[in-house]
Amino acid sequence: MKILICIKQVPDMESKFKINAEGKWYDRTDLAWRMNEYDEYAVEQAVRLKEQVKDADLTVLCIGPDQVKETMKKALAMGCDRGAHIADNDSHTREPIEIATMVADFAKDKNFDIIFTGMQSQDRGSAQVGVMIAELLSIAAVTTIVGFTFDNGAINVKRELEGGGKALVSTTTPVVLTCQLGLNTPRYPTLPNIMKAKKKELLTLPVPDMSSIGSHQETAAFYFPERKGSGIVLEGDLPDLADKLIHLLKEKTGVLA
Amino acid sequence: MEFTREIYWNVGHGFTTLVPMYGLLLLALAVFVHGSLKRIKVYKLGQSLDRTDQRGERIKALLNNVFLQTKVYRVPGPGTAHALFFWSFFILAVGTALIVAQADFTDLFFDVKFLKGTLYKFFSLTLDLAGLVAIVMLGALLVRRYLIRPEGLITKPDDALMHGILFAILITGFVIEGARMAVTELNTPLAAWSPGGLVIAKILSGFGEGPLRALHSSLWWLHLLLALAFIAIIPFTKFRHIVTTSANSFFTNLGPTGKLTTIDLEDETTEQFGAGALSDLRWKDIFDADACTLCKRCQDRCPAFATGKSLSPMQVVNQIGEIAFTNPDAALIDTVGREAIWACTTCLACQDICPASIEHVSKIIEMRRNLVLMEGEFPGDEVMTAMEQTEVNGNPLGMGYASRGDWAESLGIKSLAEDAEVDILYFVGCYASFDKRNIAVAKSFVTLCQTAGIKVGILGKEEKCCGEPMRKMGNEYLYQTLAMETIETIKGYGVKKIVTTCPHCFNTLAKDYRDLDFDIPVEPHAVFLEQLVMSGKLRIKKDIFSCTYHDSCYLGRHNNIYDAPRNLIKSAGGQLVEMTKNRDQAFCCSAGGGRILAEENIGERINIKRVQMAVETGAEQLLSNCPFCLTMFEDGVKGADVEEKLRPKDIAEILAERL
Repeated sequence: MKILICIKQVPDMESKFKINAEGKWYDRTDLAWRMNEYDEYAVEQAVRLKEQVKDADLTVLCIGPDQVKETMKKALAMGCDRGAHIADNDSHTREPIEIATMVADFAKDKNFDIIFTGMQSQDRGSAQVGVMIAELLSIAAVTTIVGFTFDNGAINVKRELEGGGKALVSTTTPVVLTCQLGLNTPRYPTLPNIMKAKKKELLTLPVPDMSSIGSHQETAAFYFPERKGSGIVLEGDLPDLADKLIHLLKEKTGVLA
Repeated sequence: MEFTREIYWNVGHGFTTLVPMYGLLLLALAVFVHGSLKRIKVYKLGQSLDRTDQRGERIKALLNNVFLQTKVYRVPGPGTAHALFFWSFFILAVGTALIVAQADFTDLFFDVKFLKGTLYKFFSLTLDLAGLVAIVMLGALLVRRYLIRPEGLITKPDDALMHGILFAILITGFVIEGARMAVTELNTPLAAWSPGGLVIAKILSGFGEGPLRALHSSLWWLHLLLALAFIAIIPFTKFRHIVTTSANSFFTNLGPTGKLTTIDLEDETTEQFGAGALSDLRWKDIFDADACTLCKRCQDRCPAFATGKSLSPMQVVNQIGEIAFTNPDAALIDTVGREAIWACTTCLACQDICPASIEHVSKIIEMRRNLVLMEGEFPGDEVMTAMEQTEVNGNPLGMGYASRGDWAESLGIKSLAEDAEVDILYFVGCYASFDKRNIAVAKSFVTLCQTAGIKVGILGKEEKCCGEPMRKMGNEYLYQTLAMETIETIKGYGVKKIVTTCPHCFNTLAKDYRDLDFDIPVEPHAVFLEQLVMSGKLRIKKDIFSCTYHDSCYLGRHNNIYDAPRNLIKSAGGQLVEMTKNRDQAFCCSAGGGRILAEENIGERINIKRVQMAVETGAEQLLSNCPFCLTMFEDGVKGADVEEKLRPKDIAEILAERL
């Protein structure tokens, strides 16, 4: 069984974000980097599947500048067998179809049975790459999975739907699965596995020719949400609270006019 | 008349006495050696460890703890009784040896008798008194064990056997003496020099010489057999502690106190980390189990045990012994139990009080190392998250690393990257950098330094967690990664002196980093500020206030710093009311051993218990010297519902309030 896991390196969301000079994306200074949370679920699920079926080969793919290898090492330490790094210093400017094209180009002749990836990235959050990969490879895709079982080739997944509903979906390989919070708890790599990861194959590949795609989207501007007034917490006894509320509504709004 | 007595009176000194006597002695010694060798084989199941270096120090420790009973004596009551019993029994053993030396050696071969005259009188009196003290102390210990039955004291058949055989030896000794005196010494001036024997002699004096001689000789042989049996069964009963506990004070960890072994992570051949099986432990860890006398002092002081968690340091030590001697292949971690392993706060109360030089904490850490490094296991998801956050942002709170120095901006403190010419590097630590309550402590400390004219620098966003909570949780890999980065950063600036407001940072930089080629002097803020106050550089207005002081484990037991913080409190006008558990007996706040990262969801809350102890003093402020303690106490006063009565503060804060 051949499995591909697509991961992305993203800034830690607690970082001090600044807008870059072009005003099109965040500045890279003073950021701490980590694996996209949803991709961690993807890696974990793939490793669990390998532990279940034993005979599986896990390739982790990541697109970005050289520093993404650090994040790839974590995936290798968690249990992926080999890494493929598409060296691209402009990855942050790429639109989803470009990323998906790179992945599909890498995957097209390798016959992956399952492609796991996060349901979206924590920074750009387009949630499009997974389904686009499936489309480009002409295989099925099931998005936002929160449950996964594999039994003799039969795949059963639970999807998260809008409004808290869940859907059970049965599928077979080859398939792209995008992972959502709740699917699993990613493991903490053991020290022997961290050591082994250092020796695993990690190939760096060039960006493929994407002249046929052309650009579809452009970032016009990038800005922080406007700061609005903060909430007010009223405290006191119930009758008191009611008075305060009425006072506020009269003073600040027109609802009681 | 010559003051002496006939040795071997009534039993004779011929072959019919000496041959069976020495024959039986050899037999007893043979049994002793055989039993000991069997146990040594088991100790050897453990990994190697050199505990025979620094012999001078080790011999000093041995003499101190065996002959002076220094550690035993620390607990009044049972400790006093044991020490007095030991000294008196030891005197009796020496007396017996002197008799043997004279009768079967100096007198036999050289016609030299030294037990005579005044020496004999004092010899006789000393032995008699020693016998009496031994009986009384043994009786006291018997009453304690079987009638008072202190909570948690484990009594086994071994204990009854020990009491029985010791009583029998002592009592037969006196009856033998009494019978001999009734025949040979009554109404002589010598009798008064054996007051114990004299009482028995008077009781027995009604019997004729014949029955007395018969009684004497039969009891003499019984006494001999009991004494030899005592020697023979040492390796097979708790009597073994005479040898093992004594030896353990020689094999003791000579320090630095509480320092853990640094795993060589460069060695790529290592595939096993920490202790998952008995054979991963060191021989000393198995030997410790044999040195344990189940005195339960460790258990009595363990904050985890006291609050209903499944950890008893005494049990951990003995569980290791149990599997070593019965089933060495058993799963070590399952035997001890994960709950117990994770409950330890590494407060060192167990190790500090242990009269048998046992190292409890390192065993627990070795098992944690196995769980974390080999299995990726933690006590809870919150701990794993804290580890991951530390990997990403260099702090377990998950705050963005770049804002680490933000707290200092308003104080005009620069990072070393901006200005490296400073008097001290203040290693702030994660809590004082990011936690609002502890930022107040950092600001107070900096204000004090500035007032005293000390130029302070920080590492700012270059500072990372020192790695202490991670290390104590078993994550040696993350600890070393953080330590290496921190060491490189600090060394890069040519820092002369480092001061910390966190005793965990202090202990790690000053002790643990020594293994990683780091030797810049480090001081905790209590010590640094005390020097500033004492030298007059820092003037504090005395303003009377009532307080109690909590000794953090890492300034107290781990580093023996008790007076500096108290002197500071006094210099600020603090009227200190001590809690019952203070100084080396202080009760942990719950957050050591990496527990600051973990939820405490079993049993009572340790921090609430400690806060209640502080409330009992009637003091208005609970002072400490540690961000973890302060965090736990802020939480504890809420939990104990005493927010109005008791204010937790750091010493730096009460000083800064009085500038």
